[in-house]
Amino acid sequence: MLVAVQANEILTLSALGVLLLIGLLVGLYLLVGLFKARSLLRREFSAYFLSPIAYVVLVLFLVVTGHLFYLTLEQLTASGPKGVEFPMQLMLGDERFWLVFLFIPPLLTMRLFAEERSTGTLEMLMTAPLRDWQVVASKYVACLGFYVLLWLPTLAYLPVLLDLQRPIMQPAWTPLSLCMVGGMAAVFVAFLLALLPFGSAGRIVGLVLLLAGVVGSGIGAWGHYHVDTEHVLEIQAGIDPMPVLTSYLGLFLAGAMFLALGLLVSSLVRSQMVAALVSLVLSLVFIVAGFWRPDMDTSSPAYQVLYFFSVPLHFSRDFSRGLVDTRHLVLYGSVAVFCLFMTVRSLESRRWR
Amino acid sequence: MIHVSELTKYYGDYAAIQNVSFDVPAGKVVGFLGPNGAGKTTTMRILAGFLTATSGQAVIDGYDVFWEPLEVRRRIGYMPENCPLYGEMRVIEYLRFRAGIKGLHGRVQRQRIDYVLQRCWLADVRRQLVGTLSKGYRQRVGLADALLADPSVLILDEPTAGLDPSQIRASRELVRELGQQHTILLSTHILPEVEMTCDSVIIIHRGQVVASSSLQELGKQAGEQTTLLVDFDGVVDPAPVRTLPGVVHLEREKIVNGTRLRIATEAGAELPPQLCSLAMARGWKLRELRPHQQTLEEFFLRIVGQEEPVAEVAGKKR
Repeated sequence: MLVAVQANEILTLSALGVLLLIGLLVGLYLLVGLFKARSLLRREFSAYFLSPIAYVVLVLFLVVTGHLFYLTLEQLTASGPKGVEFPMQLMLGDERFWLVFLFIPPLLTMRLFAEERSTGTLEMLMTAPLRDWQVVASKYVACLGFYVLLWLPTLAYLPVLLDLQRPIMQPAWTPLSLCMVGGMAAVFVAFLLALLPFGSAGRIVGLVLLLAGVVGSGIGAWGHYHVDTEHVLEIQAGIDPMPVLTSYLGLFLAGAMFLALGLLVSSLVRSQMVAALVSLVLSLVFIVAGFWRPDMDTSSPAYQVLYFFSVPLHFSRDFSRGLVDTRHLVLYGSVAVFCLFMTVRSLESRRWR
Repeated sequence: MIHVSELTKYYGDYAAIQNVSFDVPAGKVVGFLGPNGAGKTTTMRILAGFLTATSGQAVIDGYDVFWEPLEVRRRIGYMPENCPLYGEMRVIEYLRFRAGIKGLHGRVQRQRIDYVLQRCWLADVRRQLVGTLSKGYRQRVGLADALLADPSVLILDEPTAGLDPSQIRASRELVRELGQQHTILLSTHILPEVEMTCDSVIIIHRGQVVASSSLQELGKQAGEQTTLLVDFDGVVDPAPVRTLPGVVHLEREKIVNGTRLRIATEAGAELPPQLCSLAMARGWKLRELRPHQQTLEEFFLRIVGQEEPVAEVAGKKR
């Protein structure tokens, strides 16, 4: 019996290992392809900053998140017992936030293919020595990068949302802490090298430094905070930091899904306006599902189905409370991958239509 | 260098091109000639890998366009019709972007960009936004882009469309010069252009190749008959002219204050002296007599005009 169970486990583990290996290989292939198309990636990303849309979206987004942060701050600083258990829940569970969020992915994706089709530049792109999936992946990663950029300023709210205390620094120099600090310094120097014009030799040195720094600081940090008793830097958080991490994870993946949806729509139509409207309607399905009937019986099967689609509910109930429900991750991931696949196919079909 | 056989492309039920076959030998400049909607752009798009053919085969430099598209695209420089560009980029940025896409990086990229900037006379607008360039400069940017990767084959779709006469002349000279290093297939519906720049010509009409040969051969075909134009003052009865030896065909046209006879003669027939004496005898006032060279244009019109043109079908969908 024992042997049978062990054999079973070994089988499962080896199957998982093989899957992981395949996944790694596919990921590596995609990364190499993306690297070869880096010039397109760079253009797509910088194109956001050459049109006013990027700035409009950035400002709009900052106003809304700033307002939500203000509301949360009021709750957190209310006299008497503190008014909120999960600050992230107040920020991301809000319907107003999702109604604004609804407009952002369509605004970011509408021009990606629709504009190229209407101006005819798609012809230049499709006759360049790139595969269709490289074109799609570059555009997708560029708009995902802009989406991440959109969220970066909100990191400034974190010290308050986590109720961080004044950091305690002490000279606890052990080999591990030295390794961590040295790694961080190496990363800093690597970024500095990337900014200075040193040519390809400088870039290679920078890349090596960056890799060494990341690995060194990672190992050093892990060891330092797990093995050593005294720490170089300690920050106490008054509020559990995990909900913040899961919220950002959820936001990244949900954004990945909406952007992939918008990319697909953009590849199907010629007009940017139509692309934005259609992807807005499609995103609406995922966003309004939760608001549709607030009075709905939460135990009914219909609600269970709606809950599966409703992104705001995922955030108000799971991600912002530190829960990672794999069902949501699977939904976001699979819709994103499906949409990207369909985008490649839609691009390909343009050749034989 | 370019080998096309039995290429057919349907847009829905409409055949844009049907069984198009031709060859472009290495190092030649070949003109691809045809009226609008004849299928020039479709054929070029198939060669460039933007469209796939419904049937048939196209091979460039030994690589099949359908099966090895990346190898083919590395070997061609393609300039689409109207030359679509990203208007919000600067010329130098655009060229860097295109060079990166074509796999040129670092020092090679800088060298090639410098070369094409100088070759296409773009050096003085390198920092200008593409969207603010004039049509002529945009075409040059498109051509510079096509030249970036130093391709062995250049496919240029109407490279002189929309240019002013001096720009047209300059770009023709450029094409001629480039023809020494690259194999060029260029499409146009302007005939003198073909006569000036190309070694041979492929005439396509309503989706089919109707003629394909070198310019000398075409000239011979076109010159089987010679035509005389004879202008007289006043009204002239052409009947006696018809009886002269060597006259194949005769037309009378009215011109201002007179009559013009358009006389087609057999090659080698010496008509003018006889005409002069006839005019003297009849008392016709001969105003002008000149041989009329049959140009490629007339040959082209004869081929294309054989059938009544059908209603223009929009073959250019996207």
